[in-house]
Amino acid sequence: MNEINYIGERVWAGQVGNAFIVISFVAALLAFFSFYAAENNKDYLKLARTAFSIHSISVLGIAATLFFMLFNHYFEYQYVYQHSSRSMDMKYILSCFWEGQEGSFLLWTFWNVVLAFILQRRLKDGEWEASVMCVFALVQVFLASMLLGTYILDHKLGSNPFLLLREHEQFSKLPMLSIPNYAEKLNGRGLNPLLMNYWMTIHPPTLFLGFSSTFIPFAFAIAGLWKRKYTQWQETALPWTYFGILILGVGILMGGAWAYEALSFGGFWAWDPVENSSLVPWLVLVAAGHTMIINKNNGGSLFTTHFLAIGSFLLVLYSTFLTRSGVLGNASVHAFTDLGMTGQLVIYVLTFILISVALLLEDDLHRASYVVVSVLLLFMAGIFGHKRVILFFWLGASTIITIVCYYRFFPKQKEEEKLFSREFWIFLGSLVLLMASLIITYFTSIPVLNKLFGVEYAPPKPGVYNTWMIPFAILLSLLMAGALFLKYKKTEAKKFLRRMMYAFLLALLFGASCSIPLYFIGDGGFSGEKLGYAGLLIAAFFAIFSNIDYVLTVMKGKISKSGAAIAHLGFALILLGALVSTSKKAVISRDTSGKKVSSLGEEFDAKESILLTQGDTLPMGPYLVTYTKKSREGINVYFNVDYLKINKDNKPEYEFTLVPRIQDNPIMGQAAEPDTRHYLNRDIYTHITHADLNVDTAHIKDKAFGDAKNYIGHVGDTLYSSNALIVIDSLRTNIGQKEYEKNDSLLIVTAVLRAIDAQSRTYKAYPKYIIKNSVVIPEEDLIEELGLKFVFWKIDPEEGHVEITMSEKASNAKDFIVMKAFIFPYINVLWLGCIIMAIGTFIAIMERIRKFKLQSK
Amino acid sequence: MKKLHLLGILIIAVAIAVIIVSLKNTTTYADFTEAMSNPDTEYHVVGKLDKSQALVYEPKVNADECSFNMTDNKGVLKQVVLHKSPPQDIEKSEQIVLIGKMRGEQFHANDILMKCPSKYNDGAPKLE
Repeated sequence: MNEINYIGERVWAGQVGNAFIVISFVAALLAFFSFYAAENNKDYLKLARTAFSIHSISVLGIAATLFFMLFNHYFEYQYVYQHSSRSMDMKYILSCFWEGQEGSFLLWTFWNVVLAFILQRRLKDGEWEASVMCVFALVQVFLASMLLGTYILDHKLGSNPFLLLREHEQFSKLPMLSIPNYAEKLNGRGLNPLLMNYWMTIHPPTLFLGFSSTFIPFAFAIAGLWKRKYTQWQETALPWTYFGILILGVGILMGGAWAYEALSFGGFWAWDPVENSSLVPWLVLVAAGHTMIINKNNGGSLFTTHFLAIGSFLLVLYSTFLTRSGVLGNASVHAFTDLGMTGQLVIYVLTFILISVALLLEDDLHRASYVVVSVLLLFMAGIFGHKRVILFFWLGASTIITIVCYYRFFPKQKEEEKLFSREFWIFLGSLVLLMASLIITYFTSIPVLNKLFGVEYAPPKPGVYNTWMIPFAILLSLLMAGALFLKYKKTEAKKFLRRMMYAFLLALLFGASCSIPLYFIGDGGFSGEKLGYAGLLIAAFFAIFSNIDYVLTVMKGKISKSGAAIAHLGFALILLGALVSTSKKAVISRDTSGKKVSSLGEEFDAKESILLTQGDTLPMGPYLVTYTKKSREGINVYFNVDYLKINKDNKPEYEFTLVPRIQDNPIMGQAAEPDTRHYLNRDIYTHITHADLNVDTAHIKDKAFGDAKNYIGHVGDTLYSSNALIVIDSLRTNIGQKEYEKNDSLLIVTAVLRAIDAQSRTYKAYPKYIIKNSVVIPEEDLIEELGLKFVFWKIDPEEGHVEITMSEKASNAKDFIVMKAFIFPYINVLWLGCIIMAIGTFIAIMERIRKFKLQSK
Repeated sequence: MKKLHLLGILIIAVAIAVIIVSLKNTTTYADFTEAMSNPDTEYHVVGKLDKSQALVYEPKVNADECSFNMTDNKGVLKQVVLHKSPPQDIEKSEQIVLIGKMRGEQFHANDILMKCPSKYNDGAPKLE
């Protein structure tokens, strides 16, 4: 390609951005080494802090530069080009920032910097500053490297957000780049219309702040192992951990709410890999937060705490790997593009595992040898191949080392925990959470395992996840019900059980009575699955009543001290809401042929959709529905459906209109978006499964008849038009004595046709087959109301069949939609639970901070 | 420590249960030939929509059923009956994954996943 002198390109912006990236990377590296040295020599602290500040400022600089470019439409840069356009509303500018991979890594890095800034001020001059900040710096080194986009040997390190369009391998060949002043004429591709809503503005930053916050308990745990101060960091880390639990939990739930509001898979959670890989770190974080409490109180569950705190962060890294490496390709409908960062992400996860295990070893010599051998193995894998074998060997060996270290070096509790103690129940709870996480991770990672083992197992359906999670949910509910009533160290069993009895009996009453309808659903009787639901119903109610009891009686209604109980109450409500609305989700658009109403894991789940022709009214569930009109606004096509109910006077009365739509998305194809009617005790959720997006109604005005279709049949057969079925009732010969008597070479056969339309109205037509003087002169007949024309033109006496043609008026081809409608009963319980859990966690955090401040006075 | 030992055994037992059950129940990816030799076993079949044949969909007869032809990755062409209304953009799909069983000469699918063209592949950018 000739060297073109481009004009109008603002190359300086990219150069500034790149400078910031390089500085942030180098500063992070410097901070890492300085803080490492500062652990043993305080003189390095100043250097370390300066390096950290420089790093933080450069990260802000990267973000500011990218934002500046987006705001000012610098489309010569590939990131701006791909994710924004001139015609886009400015309120979506933030969504553009994190729509792409590089932007979301930048968001993560940014949040880390914000959190570290606050954390560092708390730790300043304390004994934990150097070690914790050292870990943070290392994490930042890795994250900053994800933005570098440079090449080391043959491998690309990261992906740069500041590449010019003409430098990007996918876009460099675009024809308009040969014009010198392309920069001023260019418009970007724009934000994916499916993401142009307020959720895209709030869900990613909340979620990434949540991910980011998992590094804090991680950093403390690593620092604790490093300094061999295993029990002194929990107190400081606790409020940060619960902050993470709060934010990450809310972020995940936002995703569920978004899916429910805007996507058409008919729910709020699909056990999709993207969802699972953010849920799992949260579950582990919750577990870590709880064992930290035990730890703080009496030093128990020490190893578990470290394990979980480190595990939570590692799982965030693993989730990043899963969702950004393209390994899930066939397994999910999400468009996973491989940016070539798979190898890098794998190495990051392995590096942090390496560090964690190395720090467990007590001896410096052991540590050094472990690290050296591991690095050697890495090089061997790179050079000689056999990556899988080496990986398994190394993971296996590291696991064995971990177990051995635990038994030989790790400080353990002297006394065994009693069964009826708070510590034991909390520990059990954390174990249940961990197990659930492992199972979810296993199922989600099946595509990864496929690659590793060379097998081809398909990932499981959502129903499998639901089935497996029910027993864990039951256990968690039972534990949440009892834990707060247990005392530390020991509780008298009899007193405890008596205390619990009221809540339990109430729960049994509620739960059992709610379960009774289950007996009648589907094939009747109680299957294992249904017993599971009933069990969870009772257990969830138990947790709800028990925690309300706790707030009222033990805490005497003091909300500010009941954070934990309220949070548990919220979580139990979430479980209850999810259970009830999903298992009793009634498909009202279903053809009521007595089939199973349960929607979980059913095989050939036919007859879920309803066909609505424009203008006709059909019964659907408790309503009468009419599809009234179709309209188009930009790329969205809206379908108006009116809902009526029969009132006391037996007349249909208008209730409401729902407008589900289909978005003709230029990037993702046609996306159906639901419209839902919210009531207090249920939601009516509808979406289009099939429709013609053509709003052009010109052809409907055509009054002419279309092409004739020929039918060969016997008396009794049925023909189908677009708006009726027509039965050949009978054939009558020689109608009209008079004509026959006049000329006996006249033969008339009349076909009596009976047409039945969608409203069961009947019409008749009498097309005639006439032979006069050996010439066939058929006499056509019309059914005006249905726009049908019939010509009876052939009889075959040997075969005994007749041939009739039917033509329809073009205006018959009425527009129709195929729609699915669900009732989600009591789904508001779920959303209420989310809010309550968030409030409870927040109260708990504030209470802990308050206590901490009091203590340090 | 005895209680914890008990727990440890429980954990391992559950883990083994998960692996065994999931291995028994999961379907595998296969092509049409393999699905034909095991009718009534559920498979995931990956392939491409045969665009030369129109998709058959008679919503008035059954709104939840449509049929089309698909070639699997080995090039075998089979008729597919999908027990759902056709996904909106199926003609634009680059690749489809069917979940279902072979019955006679037809593949009866109860679910479908579609891979639509990557956003990096479409047309030239707009010049104002």
